[in-house]
Amino acid sequence: MTGTPETPALPMPAPTPLGPAIEARDIVKRFGAVQALGNGRLTVGRGEIHALLGANGCGKSTLSKIIAGTHAATAGSLLIEGRPVRFATPREAEAAGIALFYQELSLIPPLSVAANIFLGREPRTRAGFIDRTRLRAETEALIALFGDTAGPGLTPDALVADLTPGQRQIVEILKVLSKSPRIVIMDEATAALDARQVAVFFDILRARRAAGVSTVFISHRLDEVFALCDRVTVMRNGETVADLCIADTDQDSVVRLMIGDVRKAGRRTRADRPAAAPLLQADRVGGGRLRDITLAVAPGEILGLGGLQGQGQSALLRGLFGADPLTAGRLRLDGQPVRIRAPADAVARGIAYVSGDRVADAVLAGRSIFENLAAAVLVRERRWRVGAGTLAPRLAGVAASLKTKYAGLDDAIGTLSGGNQQKVFIARWLATGPRLLLLDDPTKGIDLGAKADLFALIRQLADSGVAIILYSSEEAELLDQSDRILVFNGGAVVTELSGPTLDSFHLTRAAYGDAA
Amino acid sequence: MKRALPSALSALPAALPAWAITAAALTVLVIVNGLLQPGFFDGTVLQSNLTTFLPLVLVAIGQTYVVLAGDIDLSVGAVAALVNVVTVTVIAATGDGPDAILAGLAAGLAVALACGLVNGLLIGVVGLQPMVATFGTAILFSALALRILPQAGLPVPDAYWQTYGGAVLGLPTVLLILLLAIGFVALLARRPFQTWLKAVGGNRGGAFQSGLDLRRIRLSAYLISALFAGFAALCLTGETASGDPLLGQSLGLGSVSAVALGGTLLSGGVGGAAGSILGALLLGMIGNVIFFAGLPFEYQTLVQGLIVLAALAGGVLVARRR
Repeated sequence: MTGTPETPALPMPAPTPLGPAIEARDIVKRFGAVQALGNGRLTVGRGEIHALLGANGCGKSTLSKIIAGTHAATAGSLLIEGRPVRFATPREAEAAGIALFYQELSLIPPLSVAANIFLGREPRTRAGFIDRTRLRAETEALIALFGDTAGPGLTPDALVADLTPGQRQIVEILKVLSKSPRIVIMDEATAALDARQVAVFFDILRARRAAGVSTVFISHRLDEVFALCDRVTVMRNGETVADLCIADTDQDSVVRLMIGDVRKAGRRTRADRPAAAPLLQADRVGGGRLRDITLAVAPGEILGLGGLQGQGQSALLRGLFGADPLTAGRLRLDGQPVRIRAPADAVARGIAYVSGDRVADAVLAGRSIFENLAAAVLVRERRWRVGAGTLAPRLAGVAASLKTKYAGLDDAIGTLSGGNQQKVFIARWLATGPRLLLLDDPTKGIDLGAKADLFALIRQLADSGVAIILYSSEEAELLDQSDRILVFNGGAVVTELSGPTLDSFHLTRAAYGDAA
Repeated sequence: MKRALPSALSALPAALPAWAITAAALTVLVIVNGLLQPGFFDGTVLQSNLTTFLPLVLVAIGQTYVVLAGDIDLSVGAVAALVNVVTVTVIAATGDGPDAILAGLAAGLAVALACGLVNGLLIGVVGLQPMVATFGTAILFSALALRILPQAGLPVPDAYWQTYGGAVLGLPTVLLILLLAIGFVALLARRPFQTWLKAVGGNRGGAFQSGLDLRRIRLSAYLISALFAGFAALCLTGETASGDPLLGQSLGLGSVSAVALGGTLLSGGVGGAAGSILGALLLGMIGNVIFFAGLPFEYQTLVQGLIVLAALAGGVLVARRR
């Protein structure tokens, strides 16, 4: 960290020659009770391409959104070109010369490419109308930056809804560049680009660097980082742990910084049993962005799905459950071919799915705990009347086995904490006596005590012969619970970890695209 | 996830605009009506039809901008009633000369803007659900209208309805108003504002990240909607020549139907006011044809309901094709 000169009291109109492009100090960000960022620090020099690295949920996206004005920091100070700033909206950050590439894309699908790139900054005629000639010409000039790598159909008048994911990403990049920013934050901007497009994109960034533009580059592809960047800041668990010159380090050191001490997983000790015949086999299944996934899980086994977030783990689990049906490949249950087109098919075959996204996938809001518990049993057992007299004690028993804390079954679900709600949703499925349990990041947003209870139960279920497929966005959980881990990248399984390779070093390296 | 679609729909060219079906249906109805009603294409008959259709056309134009931003305005009918009673009351209180009429018009439009401001603040700034909020303000505005004029009455000066039913600058007044409205639609379509509305309706998060001021944009849409409801009220006042606190009750859902028929997605982001004009004319023509075909009046609502359902289903299927 370099010392910063005294900042001027008045905002200055032009970039001052003093201070680095970005200096973020001791940034803290809380979302409700969750602390996303504990000590975010980042110093980016003028005309520097600076990598910001870290594992899932380490706070790098949060830090970049604070710099770009999408989030407000809870505490800490941010200096842009030596001036202290506190942006309330993206527009204010933009006025200060900062543009952020949004990982989840800020494009409007029903609008044209040109309208998207210049949204809110449309060139106008003197009468105040959109100057369509200029709009089109400037858009064409921007698209020309990508030359023939842009692919067919990427024209100023094309609707973004009709573009491929890669082309949408190009449009988002062009939108950032069109603002002629002095500071650019590229958050996973290459995720959907092919190799040629990436090469062109890097040339653009290098040309901007020569013109004095500073870039913060966030990517999960370490080889890209080492090919492009000058410096690297590494974050871990919401804190900045290192600020290095790329020339002075290598990929393995950076990976070690990202994960901290390489831990050997405290693996569950699996009861010795003869290798059972697989319960579920998937043969080259696909659909949406999933490609050629082959896996098998046996009764009593916990199969982990690893990798960065959003690489297809949830899509696979939802596919196996029929929520977003798989369109390619074959499934076998007990060796028999099955088709699962809707959750009802899955439920009928003893498959249960617990999502970490309680609000969207699980909660019957405003209804009682009993109703929330009974939802799956009523479907599974095709009951024509609820029969609360017999069902209630049974469900209460299942809920108690999970140490669910509640006052009465008739209380509204909303009276429970997140962790207890999640226990209710797991109990909902346990009551159906599933043979295969699909867990989609089941501990998202619940406290440590509840997590420990959940995992104790999950192990107990596995020991009793239930097959379990577990995706968790927390590596430690995954390593502690899984017998094997399939690592996902871009909708495909890139490697399988088991035995000696089942540790966080191999997991992180595989997730970041470096073949293990 | 693509789904199987009726083959007839897949056979349509992909470039077909969503309002094309409405335009075709409108053409058919015009021809049928021409056959059923011999004098249909006479100037006076056209003018009288346009007089009947104009209020819904105007309200539908205003509604379009709200819907484009992903919102809805169910209070337009109540706004029209409130504007109507305020206008006639102000005219009655200030005499019956041209000054009194102008004062009445100005007061009516000011009230319309105030209603739009209330809606826009509740939804754009406070963040209430549009459907519930405008349903609530509709009750409020209706109650105010009843408070101001408990019973229908208070005739307006002859000059008011004679001008509205007559001609200005050599054109029938109703036609002139329609042309002005079309001109407004065409101008706004070329302004960045309409793109922003579509952005707000198409992807609200993306619009915010792009630096758009969502509050101001949504509020402006409600102002436009209320203003057009006000214009519609002034036209209805010219047609009925008196005040009626219960006037315009079908305008709310009627305008939403016209907007949907005109190819604007009720979820926002896609469409335009030109289609809504066609949609409103189509709804009017359905009533006409049923009347001249000698069918009982009750069928009008039935057929309108079926056509709106068909148009909405068509819109969903077209959207799924993407």
